[in-house]
Amino acid sequence: MRRYVDAQLLGPFAALILVTLVIALTTERFLDPGNLSNLALQVAIVALIGIGSTVVVFSGGIDLSSGSMVALLTMILATAIKSFGVPLWPALIGALVIGTAIGALNGVLSAYLRIPSFIVTLAGLIAYRGLALMFNAGSPIFSLHPGLEPVFYGTLFGIPLPFFYLVAFYGAATMMMMNTRLGREIYAVGGNPAAAKLSGINVRRVQTIAFAIAGFMTAVGAVLMAARLNSGSPNYGQTLELQAIAAAVVGGASLAGGRGNILSTLVGALTIVIVQNALNLNAAPAAVQNVILGLIILVAVGLDMWRTEIAHTLARLFKGRR
Amino acid sequence: MPPADEPLWNVVEVSKTYPGVLANDRVSIRLMAGRIHGLMGENGCGKSTLIRILSGVHPPDSGEIRRQGKRVNMTTPTEARAQGVATVFQEFSIVRTLTVAENVFLGRWPRTALGLIDWNTMRRRSREVLAELEIAIDPDAITANLSVAQQQLVEIAKAVAADAQLIILDEPTTALGVDEIDLLHTLLRRMRDKGHAILYVSHRLDEVTALVDEVTVLRGGRVVAQAGEIAIEVDAIVNAMIGGSVKDHYPKKCNTHPEVAMSVRSISTVRGIHDVSFTLHKGEVLGLGGVLGSGRTEIARALFGLDTLTDGDVAVAGRSLRLRSPADAIRAGLALVTENRKTDGLFFNFAGRANMSSASLPRLSAFGFLDLKREDAEAAALARELELSHGATDKSVVHLSGGNQQKVVIARWLLSDARVLILDEPTQGIDIGAKLAVYRLINRLTAQGCAIVLISSDHEELLAMSDRVAVVQKGTIVDIRAPQDLTTADLVRAATLRSGRTAA
Repeated sequence: MRRYVDAQLLGPFAALILVTLVIALTTERFLDPGNLSNLALQVAIVALIGIGSTVVVFSGGIDLSSGSMVALLTMILATAIKSFGVPLWPALIGALVIGTAIGALNGVLSAYLRIPSFIVTLAGLIAYRGLALMFNAGSPIFSLHPGLEPVFYGTLFGIPLPFFYLVAFYGAATMMMMNTRLGREIYAVGGNPAAAKLSGINVRRVQTIAFAIAGFMTAVGAVLMAARLNSGSPNYGQTLELQAIAAAVVGGASLAGGRGNILSTLVGALTIVIVQNALNLNAAPAAVQNVILGLIILVAVGLDMWRTEIAHTLARLFKGRR
Repeated sequence: MPPADEPLWNVVEVSKTYPGVLANDRVSIRLMAGRIHGLMGENGCGKSTLIRILSGVHPPDSGEIRRQGKRVNMTTPTEARAQGVATVFQEFSIVRTLTVAENVFLGRWPRTALGLIDWNTMRRRSREVLAELEIAIDPDAITANLSVAQQQLVEIAKAVAADAQLIILDEPTTALGVDEIDLLHTLLRRMRDKGHAILYVSHRLDEVTALVDEVTVLRGGRVVAQAGEIAIEVDAIVNAMIGGSVKDHYPKKCNTHPEVAMSVRSISTVRGIHDVSFTLHKGEVLGLGGVLGSGRTEIARALFGLDTLTDGDVAVAGRSLRLRSPADAIRAGLALVTENRKTDGLFFNFAGRANMSSASLPRLSAFGFLDLKREDAEAAALARELELSHGATDKSVVHLSGGNQQKVVIARWLLSDARVLILDEPTQGIDIGAKLAVYRLINRLTAQGCAIVLISSDHEELLAMSDRVAVVQKGTIVDIRAPQDLTTADLVRAATLRSGRTAA
């Protein structure tokens, strides 16, 4: 069990608890059951997409294309259901398959054609939204399917389904990074690709798989997005890729690759959403919320960077006493 | 002029503690103008700390530093530079994208009246400095296009241009070939004759004894031999460094079996090796001798599936191999310890355990899941066996000494059950204690039947540890002999010979 608790995560986790406590004490409606389940709904999409973004970061790359990919996938899903009459479940599974394939394409372009992943996915960020606009003359498609909304709004034992998605996917992702050969190979490739190659690891294959995982998780996010609004739109998911990366960073993950805990992303996403929720409850304007989100990112990363310095200073102070 | 016995720099009883370690314990050293002073000691003896103190990187906790008799306080590298100290660290401090002239005057570029960089003055003065040092490098060349040796000369030119009276060199020859080392030493002697004080830190004893005028030896943070107290001879210095005498400097054991482990038949690659053939027996150590750039590393790359074979055949245990990637080579029982453990050996993001197991993941997993308990047990057992420092399997390898890092990299191939191990410069940059551990490891592996290809620029080591030595020249093996029939001089001569054949 000790393996799953790591020091890197303790600081951000403590910060999350502290922020939650302060908000719970100062904001009246925060602890209402309605508000709490609302939180689970708000955090779900960014936290699930964040799993894929973080896996790519661990492998030494970056994925900027997920937000646009969400728009494209909701449009593909909507067109399949409305224009081609594809039944709901095959359409959803199709969206997951296409998302995985697009992710794999990102991976192939960066790993095999050696175009930096920042550039590949920056191109994807622009091009995938362009592709989304080619469907239905660029207009949203509404009222997709009566069975779609329960995928997001349904409950089990009175708990919203997205809560269970989070538990299942974070559980699986943690298991993958900690206990599987693939997880170890992802860390190895992200830490030192040359050494990984010399250890017999197929570096390009591992990088491609990391992007395919990101594509799959983005598709999961896209399905939930479509279910939440029972529609597809080329405007969905704007800046979602940055929110996903911001969540990882606030949770203490390093963008350098090769190290980190996937749960960082959940902790970071929760921190951001809870603060946003508190601001909403206190009727703060949207502009203020963005400024505060920016500050949270700076403070979280700053504290992490200065952690060693802070520890050294404390150590020196203590030594001075003796 | 100060009196003749007045040191340029006098470090008096300096101590420095890092959390948990007394790195320098009342260390004193006298650096005289016009003399090359060798600073010796094993890894972790406090050499680096002393260098950092003299360079103003870390101020000492106690003791004093005197410059020409006057006490000075240096708490930043800038202050040290202002006092005329220039340090050439192992990691260069030149900007590779700039020209040589820009680097020589890095941060102190001459300006015109408008505050713009005065390129003409900068070029002219760079040319003067380079000419004074007899360094044949174009001041307008982009530094990244120079060889490592030339970049080092630029570092020294930079020190001279900054009017440094004390020049500190930390392991300056690790990346240099024989000719380049000669060039560097010639330059250092010239600078000594001009009155500079030079502090020279190196592991390579033969080199140090040939160059320096006096030696200080550190052990465990203390000075164990002051300049003048110790003869500048390899044996005396080694004894002082390790605190005893090592009669069996090279604990070579011969474990060669008649059985063939690997046969290489006239292989060639696009990287410039051609028609390389040799047979390797079980338990045998085959040394590859030759200079930097002769093709030894390229032979290793070809055998490990890194460069595609354009011709020829490699067979292990009688089976011909298809070598398309390191994974193919590893499956066939090959292993490669590269010469740069920092750049392509170690995973600094991993603890020792994951570093050891990285080439054995297929064996350690079932249905994609790693057997973490087994990984832990095997790594721990190996760590005990190799006498790795306590807790090395749990700590990031950043915190290990060079010797322990090398043990971790070799341990990776013990875990993978390699039958043929290629060691490229396995003792470069590690101290004598760790070198002995590597030699013992070679003996242990060969006793188990593992065959070893040993690449080393340390000719003495190569001759002592190999069962046979192949002389590599211009991408091919020109001769294979028993080490008794070769001398260090033979290897150097073969390496520098212009013709395709050795003088036999």
